[in-house]
Amino acid sequence: MLLSIDTSAGTSAAVIDSNCLSFVSFADPFGHAENIGLVVEKAISEAGISMEQISAIAVARGPAPYTGLRVGMAAATALSKARALPLHGVITLDAIAHSAGVGSLLVTTDAKRRELFAATYKSGKRIDGPLLLTASDLENYAGFELVQVSCDAKLVGEYAKAAFAQGIDLSDLSALYLRSPDVTPSAGKKVSG
Amino acid sequence: MELKKLTTADLEQVMRLENALFESEAWSSKTMAAELSAANSFYIGVFGLELLGYAGLRVSPGDFASDVLTIGVSKDQQGKGIGRRLMAELLAFAKRSGSEQVFLEVKESNAAAIALYKSLGFEQIDLRKKYYQPSGENAVVMKLLIDQPVVLGIESSCDETGVGIVRGNRLLANALHSSMDEHAKYGGVVPEVAARAHLEALSPTLDKALSDAGISMDQVDAIAVANGPGLAGALMVGIGAAKGLAVATGKPLYAVNHLVGHVGADVLERGAVELPTIALLVSGGHTSLLLVRDLLDDVVLLGETIDDAAGEAFDKVARVLGLSYPGGPQIDKQAADGNPKAIKFPRGLTLPKDLVEHKYDFSFSGLKTAVARYVEKAQAEGLEISKSDVAASFREAVIDVLLTKAISACEEYKIPRLLLGGGVVANARLREEAKRRCDNRGIELRIPRFSLCTDNGAMIASLGAQLIMSGRKPSGLGFGAESTLPVTSIQTL
Repeated sequence: MLLSIDTSAGTSAAVIDSNCLSFVSFADPFGHAENIGLVVEKAISEAGISMEQISAIAVARGPAPYTGLRVGMAAATALSKARALPLHGVITLDAIAHSAGVGSLLVTTDAKRRELFAATYKSGKRIDGPLLLTASDLENYAGFELVQVSCDAKLVGEYAKAAFAQGIDLSDLSALYLRSPDVTPSAGKKVSG
Repeated sequence: MELKKLTTADLEQVMRLENALFESEAWSSKTMAAELSAANSFYIGVFGLELLGYAGLRVSPGDFASDVLTIGVSKDQQGKGIGRRLMAELLAFAKRSGSEQVFLEVKESNAAAIALYKSLGFEQIDLRKKYYQPSGENAVVMKLLIDQPVVLGIESSCDETGVGIVRGNRLLANALHSSMDEHAKYGGVVPEVAARAHLEALSPTLDKALSDAGISMDQVDAIAVANGPGLAGALMVGIGAAKGLAVATGKPLYAVNHLVGHVGADVLERGAVELPTIALLVSGGHTSLLLVRDLLDDVVLLGETIDDAAGEAFDKVARVLGLSYPGGPQIDKQAADGNPKAIKFPRGLTLPKDLVEHKYDFSFSGLKTAVARYVEKAQAEGLEISKSDVAASFREAVIDVLLTKAISACEEYKIPRLLLGGGVVANARLREEAKRRCDNRGIELRIPRFSLCTDNGAMIASLGAQLIMSGRKPSGLGFGAESTLPVTSIQTL
């Protein structure tokens, strides 16, 4: 049984076997740290199973707003360590695309600062991305069906299951930020005004 | 019946019972008075209209052990469970104090008492012939083992990812990963850089702590995590990890205060923090002066910086002098052959008018600007400056104001004890001057080893363990990061 965790938008967790046994979501876009423990605990109990029955964990590794994303990734890392379970990293856009079908897709999510996290897909395969786009860039993607939905743990879990079956490598567990930290090295040393 | 802690005020009643019970073997009034007021001793009494029974325990924190020194119940009150109640109270205190074993001696002929101790888990370990004088009776020596909780603590409030493991008051592991080097090119801690580094360091630091402690996750009894004060995005990584561990294992979770953790770190040095104490915590993120009467219940913030933290001032002045980050060690090196009295830099918030509102607050922003002005003015005028003199004079100004206020707090509250914590304690000149000033005034100075002074996971684990040993309930799963968590909030429920 797979436990999936997503904190790329809200905070959600799901338990997936051959089908989805439970899906619990807190929509609050700022409550990741508060909700992460509760959401996992609830997903396990609503699935009617115990933590011992979980055999693998999948977690969304972005791209997504950083602060929340890290909460889910930290929790998933700790869960997998404590229970010695394999941990799989899922790109949010891949999970969304998987749920949207096999056409030519341009999947985007909100990257804040008037930018979008984006990737394109054809026949279920990622062609380009993940990358950052602005709204005006979208016109370069004529012929792609625009998919703009948020990721959640159900999508992450279902994609991970499909990826296992197709032998897709999910071993990369690094967070996908797509931006450098917002800071520039100090230039001058003049302190007084 | 009422149970209360005994003091020398109860001496007369205690002696009446002592003499009645132990006759020729009774302690003298002088011995009893000394016992009642001794450090690390804990005496309790059960009162009806008068004292019905009493018992005393001595804790040896460094040995993680306690001795039951005496227990007595008035003859007409025996067999009513008073002895058991007194013992239970002593054992709870021993547990709370971090004892892993409790010893006692009992007369071989006192079958009722031996049965009571056995029922509480004591086992005979020795028989001492003719131990009691003048009766010449044998003493049975008994020992109780106390299981202290194994706690894993996570710290991520600034730029150090710490995972520590303790058993009760004993340090088992203190794994640390610092992202300091990554901040060097920016001249200060960048929150987003720190938070990213925490996530990357999490897995290896957890592994290292468990391997250093030689235990596996299922041997951990509880998880503790710092949920503030600190950088919110950084704290959240530790919180996410701690909740993941707690949910994975079903073990209780304790959200604890990072700053109070610093004070509690001394527990890991000598088994206890001597209280009450004034604590001065100085780092790149904090400059706080605390009055600690009880680590779990009574911590008061006397003052803190109203602008830059002391460590931050070191970093900024280092930049002015063209020295690298972190500034503390660089300024120290530069100051080594400088004259600390060469330049009279300002001591922030020390004027009588400042003291009205900011008696124990600090301000280093004006000092930093004064140093910058001094250097820039000299450069504009084409004058040569002595970097060493500037560094030494600046450092002296910081240290002077830190210690003047800390020692004045010791004096005002009549607490002859000062505990230092935080990364700036690495500064040798600060330690040396603190020692000199404390020695002059008969103040006991405590400085834990450096790895327990900087941010670390062991101090968080230790504070969690103290809460558990005192029987506190775990935190719920719903707490969040509190970047400005006040020191009065020792545990977030």
